[in-house]
Amino acid sequence: MNDQNPLPPVSAQLPPPIPPVLPAGQPRRLGDDPSERLAIPNVVVAIEAILRQPRRVMFQLRQPGAGHLIAMMLSLSVVCSLIYGVVVGTFSGGVQLWAAPVKIASGLMISALICLPSLYIFTCLSGSRARLVEIFGLLAGLLMLMTILLIGFAPVAWIFSQSTESLPWMGTLHLAFWFIATIFGLRFLEAGFSNSEARSRAGLNTWVVIFLLVAVQMTTALRPILGTADTILPTGKKFFLAHWGACLSAENNAPASRSRN
Amino acid sequence: MTAIGNHSRPVSAFLGAAPERFREWIMSRQVHLIVFCATAIVIGAGSYGLAVGIWRGPWQALYTGIKLPLAILLTTLGNGLLNGMLAPLLGLNVTFRQSLAVVLMSFAVAAMVLGALSPVALFIVWNTPPLTAGTTSSSPEYGLLQLALAGFVALAGVIGNVRLMPLLRLWTGSAAVARNVLLAWLAGNLFLGSQICWVLRPFIWDARRPVEFIGPDPFQGSFFETIFNAGSRLVFS
Amino acid sequence: MPDPAEGFFMSITRLNVCEIGVLLRGEREAMAAWMEQWNAERLRLHFLLVIGGAGFYGAAMGWWRAPEQALFTAIKFPLVISLTVTGNALINGMLAPLLGLNLSFRQSFSAVLMSFAVASAILGAFSPLMAFMVWNAPPLSPETLQGATYPLIKLANVAVIAFAGTTGNVRLFQLLVKLGGSRAVARRVLWVWLAVNLFLGSQLSWILRPFIGAPNLPVEFFRAAALRGNFYENIFQSWQQIFNN
Repeated sequence: MNDQNPLPPVSAQLPPPIPPVLPAGQPRRLGDDPSERLAIPNVVVAIEAILRQPRRVMFQLRQPGAGHLIAMMLSLSVVCSLIYGVVVGTFSGGVQLWAAPVKIASGLMISALICLPSLYIFTCLSGSRARLVEIFGLLAGLLMLMTILLIGFAPVAWIFSQSTESLPWMGTLHLAFWFIATIFGLRFLEAGFSNSEARSRAGLNTWVVIFLLVAVQMTTALRPILGTADTILPTGKKFFLAHWGACLSAENNAPASRSRN
Repeated sequence: MTAIGNHSRPVSAFLGAAPERFREWIMSRQVHLIVFCATAIVIGAGSYGLAVGIWRGPWQALYTGIKLPLAILLTTLGNGLLNGMLAPLLGLNVTFRQSLAVVLMSFAVAAMVLGALSPVALFIVWNTPPLTAGTTSSSPEYGLLQLALAGFVALAGVIGNVRLMPLLRLWTGSAAVARNVLLAWLAGNLFLGSQICWVLRPFIWDARRPVEFIGPDPFQGSFFETIFNAGSRLVFS
Repeated sequence: MPDPAEGFFMSITRLNVCEIGVLLRGEREAMAAWMEQWNAERLRLHFLLVIGGAGFYGAAMGWWRAPEQALFTAIKFPLVISLTVTGNALINGMLAPLLGLNLSFRQSFSAVLMSFAVASAILGAFSPLMAFMVWNAPPLSPETLQGATYPLIKLANVAVIAFAGTTGNVRLFQLLVKLGGSRAVARRVLWVWLAVNLFLGSQLSWILRPFIGAPNLPVEFFRAAALRGNFYENIFQSWQQIFNN
């Protein structure tokens, strides 16, 4: 029998109503909402803000002292990528338990650093009035959001790591998780970009392709991250497509090609 | 404000509640709701597991009665962080605990449906010839049993998700956002859940092995790898 | 007696780096206002952009051959640009008013320098990417020349330089429209300046070759035959060879 009591009045414990969606053509400026002007004092608030109130992060990046927020986001990105790297390393174990996290964290930071100048150039060319510090902060936000989402995928990645010996399969899975996490990170970057008076998104879209290619190539440059090898870093140079092709061929010719240490 | 536990018929109150009532429970009686849902999953999915496993034997019934709710709970917890992060990113502003409660709620509905169908499943099992030398994995009776049991799980899952949709729509105010969140959670839960079920196999029987809680080499291979290899064999051989 | 070096470094610290953003965004009103009066510091900033941006990109290009080639190309690439701008300053300054755009010598020099500064800033921003690409490529060798790596890196260089050059010219065109008020006049002046700069620039590049180098030739700043022949003579001879064969 269903409950016959009428619904109780809205309780003070119910969440505040969601702000109405503004009609098209009335863009809100950053900082119009008072909640966006609240400072972000620590890492926990930063995580909550980037997930639920990304405009708050974007607004704080424009304020004096944004360096503290950027340093926090970068530190969190490094920590989260180290944690995810440990999960990646459990596939092979042994040396990879420390090598994989170091390579993933450093590779991510170096890729971002390589692509930062071109990001600034493309944002300027698009007419954006964002300063270099703000661009750097948006990039740090992209990295932070990407890496905390990877932490969310970590249990799934771990269980598959323990369940298979197929290197291409695990590599594809990690790449898929990374790609999904990057999409959300890029959404944050694009939202920040669109709030900076940019006239066109063509430059940013081009930069996105460059960033993805650099990050993917970095995984090959720092190989092996999943499997094992005689040396920590590769002795030969390869582009990522050639490396993936070689891994797939090796898998087809010798299915038990991975060794668990 | 009425908590679920205060009802004389908590199951019917839970299953018949309007989306506004669900949201009220999630906001104000979160811990009670989580405990209630977890209990419902253990009892509902557990009884269905008992009915499924009894075809093999009493020990298999016990093992499956434990493993089926375990698979659901492990999936919910394993994806808890991810679901809690995807929801606000896709437009549903909930906390991690609230997202956990919402997902548990949909699994609880599915588990209650499974529990309700467990007598029917038991009846089908009772009518299926027992596992003997004459019954093999290619027997039509075994095929019908598999289909029926899988069909019930699919039905329960659909009902659980259908009950979730109005709540998400109410919370977000947008059908599109609600649909995106539901699909993202569904994809994540299906992905992890299928692999957890692979690890915890067998649920009905393994013709080559005696009755055991988990088969040998539970971490050998993966669900999707097996599907991919089977598909490759189908296409290329 | 004031120390000239100290004065130079003091002037650098006074440079308004935010003006780089103005250049890249193509803020025509600001850039046109700059052209109204001579500003030595702004001129220094633009030259520094050329030296820094093109220099870093040149270093990334030349690194594939050898570290010494990186140093040589880091010097030669900005040198080509600077010599092209200064070498054509007189002719560019004369052609502009003849084609209908009333600019002084100083203004035409500033405009051309600004467009090269934009291009150099873009090249500088892409230099880490080019360095990363070179780092990932097998070392330059006769085998590499036969494979896919050499054409890939060549294409990448062409694409980046073309993009930088095109953007610089687009900004220049927008500025000329602002200064002259007529798109047709601006387009005429732009095409003529482009032709003149390409003509001198290609010969300067020929003289200052190599920029990447070849694995079978030594690493050197100039080739021994640097001043023998020219770029267009070489093209003409190649055409002759094609038709004679």
